Amino acid sequence: MKHTLTILAATTALTAAIGVPAWSAIQSPDDAHLRPFAAVFEESAKSLPLILASDDDDNRGHRKSWWLRFGDDDDDDDDDDDDDDDDRGGKNPAPAGTVAPPQNGLFENGAAPKVQVN
Amino acid sequence: MKSLLATLALTTALTVPGIAMARPVTLTTTLNAYGGDGAYLAFYVTDASDAYVGSLWMAGGKSKYYKHLGDWSRATGGDTAQVNGITGASVGAGRTLEITLELADALFDAGYTLHVDAAVEDMRDSPNEVAVPLTTDGAGTPVRGRRYIASFAYDM
Repeated sequence: MKHTLTILAATTALTAAIGVPAWSAIQSPDDAHLRPFAAVFEESAKSLPLILASDDDDNRGHRKSWWLRFGDDDDDDDDDDDDDDDDRGGKNPAPAGTVAPPQNGLFENGAAPKVQVN
Repeated sequence: MKSLLATLALTTALTVPGIAMARPVTLTTTLNAYGGDGAYLAFYVTDASDAYVGSLWMAGGKSKYYKHLGDWSRATGGDTAQVNGITGASVGAGRTLEITLELADALFDAGYTLHVDAAVEDMRDSPNEVAVPLTTDGAGTPVRGRRYIASFAYDM
């Protein structure tokens, strides 16, 4: 008897754990406040920033996300050719002062902008 | 005397249209202390039909990150030629970037809008962080960005 009760309890728990989210996901609630579990999970996933794992982690003993490489100018191994063509993003633009501004009709006299950071 | 007057008249005639066609404009952008690394910022202009006209400045030199400047990237197809010669360093949190440039008079009070897209390492992208109509009345009026820009204003 005790054994049967244990099996019943276990199967009920399993059914609840698997069935409730599945059932919830296929329901279309009339009330907008009652959202299926799947929608809740999906929404939380959407609200998180996208972080992609870098595929060229080195042996420094830690992982670096794609974004952690952003602006990491003192990283010796983040890019072999920062100033040249980059297969992930194309050629870097010419810095200000090295070539004339683009002729897009916005810059009168072709004068380069003057920039200051405080 | 007569030739001097003629010369003066000629130089004046040549100079006045030049003055009338362009004016120095300073774009002042102050970032929040958002606690992250340097921000990439794309400054660009769209016309009255929301079509991309051109870029004014790109803060951040690595093109592989430009896709995070979503609206600019879509408008230009990520074409780095759009920002050749108008690209500088990314801007740190809490810092103020001042860009002074000669802008065509025709851009003001003619339905053009100045946009700023922003992106920061390991933080959310912020396309269209700022969008301000280019008007003479709007000059000097600071506006707040959506996420990273504490204050943006253009002065003439």
